Amino acid sequence: MPKGYLCLVLHGHLPYVRHPEHEDFLEEDWLYEAITETYVPLILVYERLVADRIDFRVTMTLSPTLISMLSDTLLQERYLKHINRLMELAHKEIERTRWQPEFHNLALMYLSEFTKARDTFLKYNRNLVSAFKNFQDLGKLEIITCGATHGYFPLMDICQESVRAQVKVAVSHYESVFGRKPRGIWLPECGYHPGHDAILKEAGLRYFFSDAHAILHGSPRPKYGVFAPVYCKGTQVACFARDLESSKQVWSSIEGYPGDYNYREFYRDIGFDLEYDYIKPYIHPDGVRINTGIKYYRITGSGNRKEPYLPHWAQDKASQQAGNFMFNRQRQVEYLYDFMGRKPLIVSPYDAELFGHWWYEGPLWLEFLIRKIACDQDELRLTNAVEYLEENPRNQVITPSMSSWGWKGYSEMWLQGPNDWIYRHLHAASEKMTELAKSQSSANGLTKRALNQALRELLLAQSSDWAFIMGTGTHTEYALRRTKDHLSRFNRLYAEIKSNSLNPDWLSDLEYKDNIFPGIDYKAHQ
Amino acid sequence: MVRAKKIKKVVSKKPISRKRQTRITKFKAAPRPQAKQTAGIQVQEIAVETAKFSHPEISRTAKTFSPELPSQYEQDRMVLLVRDPWWLYTYWELKQETVEKIKSELKDEFYKAKRILRVYDVTNIIFDGLNAHRFFDIEIHEFANNWYIDTAGPGKSWCVDLGLRLSNGKFITILRSNVVQTPLDGPSWITDEEWMIPDDMFARLYGLGFGQGKSSPAGKAWRERMVSSSGMASMASPVKKAQERGFWLKVDCELIVYGATLAGAKVTVQGKPINLRPDGTFTLRFALPDGKQVIPVKAVSADKVDERTITPTVNKGTK
Repeated sequence: MPKGYLCLVLHGHLPYVRHPEHEDFLEEDWLYEAITETYVPLILVYERLVADRIDFRVTMTLSPTLISMLSDTLLQERYLKHINRLMELAHKEIERTRWQPEFHNLALMYLSEFTKARDTFLKYNRNLVSAFKNFQDLGKLEIITCGATHGYFPLMDICQESVRAQVKVAVSHYESVFGRKPRGIWLPECGYHPGHDAILKEAGLRYFFSDAHAILHGSPRPKYGVFAPVYCKGTQVACFARDLESSKQVWSSIEGYPGDYNYREFYRDIGFDLEYDYIKPYIHPDGVRINTGIKYYRITGSGNRKEPYLPHWAQDKASQQAGNFMFNRQRQVEYLYDFMGRKPLIVSPYDAELFGHWWYEGPLWLEFLIRKIACDQDELRLTNAVEYLEENPRNQVITPSMSSWGWKGYSEMWLQGPNDWIYRHLHAASEKMTELAKSQSSANGLTKRALNQALRELLLAQSSDWAFIMGTGTHTEYALRRTKDHLSRFNRLYAEIKSNSLNPDWLSDLEYKDNIFPGIDYKAHQ
Repeated sequence: MVRAKKIKKVVSKKPISRKRQTRITKFKAAPRPQAKQTAGIQVQEIAVETAKFSHPEISRTAKTFSPELPSQYEQDRMVLLVRDPWWLYTYWELKQETVEKIKSELKDEFYKAKRILRVYDVTNIIFDGLNAHRFFDIEIHEFANNWYIDTAGPGKSWCVDLGLRLSNGKFITILRSNVVQTPLDGPSWITDEEWMIPDDMFARLYGLGFGQGKSSPAGKAWRERMVSSSGMASMASPVKKAQERGFWLKVDCELIVYGATLAGAKVTVQGKPINLRPDGTFTLRFALPDGKQVIPVKAVSADKVDERTITPTVNKGTK
């Protein structure tokens, strides 16, 4: 009989990066790499589990921006070009490494992976969202939504209309994609501010995820700590908090699994290692070396000397670590079960891109873990928030504490020297948007299009990713540009709407460039 | 432009346990772009030592507004944001006419007055301007338009006035912020009768919640744990990059084998068929390990009548 539950959550998000105005745009590679390295491998894991009739539960965020990019025909076209080029490079590598069997075998492995990525992409008619939808329809995957553009809510509290727009636009977008409303939400960066649960409730959302201290520092004291969800006072929206012990085992750059010496080294890519003229067609057109995704070395040790990657060593390690993770969770629930007198729930959320992109063996580790949990034991059961609440409807009511899962646990990552200046502009734009939505209750034609576009621009400016990149302090040009571009576009739209002087050509151009959320309704910002 | 996403997290993961350290760490932890890293940082470092409640952010004022965005929005407004349990951030804007109006009312007094942020503790009250539990003042620079405020008060409500302190000590409010609440920095003292838990048991659960395992004492060390394990948000690499030394050298060798034959011929290199270009030329490129490579290149004409073999041999050694 199970003594406790494990809820695995993978948070899948990328900011909206789509530049039809440029033939080749470096930042779009974020999506292409994520498809090849994370999303296809995860789909293949789920496919194998279903084929082998392994029952499983995984919760996944697919942020509205990620869904929009995955279903965009221009980006799909470009991904195909990208993966074809990678396959061409892999073919060349197979030739080039003929006298180096240790690399030759890896080149063959990459060709096989790229081919699988391409085949999978084509099998789902270029739209991987439909793959995830299949697993949701089978009851294995619980797909949750996120802020429309991953805006960081706690710093938006001063204009709750914007929080509402982030949530409402996300929910209706989800509905148009999956044919039903989302039941849960991943608050961007786990950023919770007391009171925002009311906005979630309005939108029909029943639960969200938070960091540990949202519950541990909530009031009154939570009887079960983070090992049971709580209902938010006044709204009964459920809050599920992250367990830091299981998080740390995977996340930590010091003691986490991904740092194992047998695993593939992320930072040794042939895009940087090989002779310039040879690799030039596969790096950035302006000649800047970038990662290609072909990496031949294992982490080896803490120094610079790297040995060739040995896939079977890494696989053994992933299996071992999956066993270790399961063992630790078994001990954890055993102990907690006696202690709490009720079945504990362990919530383990991770960035989806950790699996495959950063941690190459991550998807394999996940597959081993799920198989072991299904076949090797019965103390631990995989669950999701909805099933847990059905079985355990009675939970404590508290007011969770303001928190995030960012650096230091609050808002500092997004509010510090390099990025604090954005808020006066963002908040001013939010206020103007509220004013527009209130005063233009029944706009149509060109004005309606302009109002909808104004909300798109505001939402795009609000992505927490821009503030985050500025906060890291290096390579901030793109984040700065995006923030300024969307805000400037918004301000001009506002001025033109107010003065009734809309420029249809310019508006069409914006609709073409920033085409996210085709069904958006500006009245969501109220 | 280098991929921004690949930036390894540069922020410090130094554990912090006491508030005093929190204040200091923040400056080192969040490096600014090079251009700004001049006097500003030093000023702030000093400010931490000397000013108890705040540090100036005015060194950035010039850069606050990008040319593309308006420098102001023609309003009188003061916004207060919560950064964490201890720190607030406020920004404000004053219309020129508002300033002119105050100037004309105060005349000479205006120039003698000090610009002040008055920070009110308004926990659990409806603030009317006079009934705050307590307040403290921060003297600021005339041209500042934003400020970080150290409240040292988790779990409290705050409101801030921008105002002038006249030479006779009288305070005049120019702008008043919204009210915000800082979160608690530890567990709540409020307990729930229906969901009671003894203190020692809660302490253990609390520690477990922060990932300290069942044997560790809960409570005090939690914040270090939190900082070292939760410093992860989207788009940051959790994967460590090996420290590179300042100087290094790498040498690899590759071998290019190229040639030509009659278009349509079949060519093998080391027994493996290769593709010719339409004009009959070919180029192969090999990573060249140490040792001897014998590379027979064999061409057979399209009608399979003629055959030629040429065998280069290469010896490579590395010292």
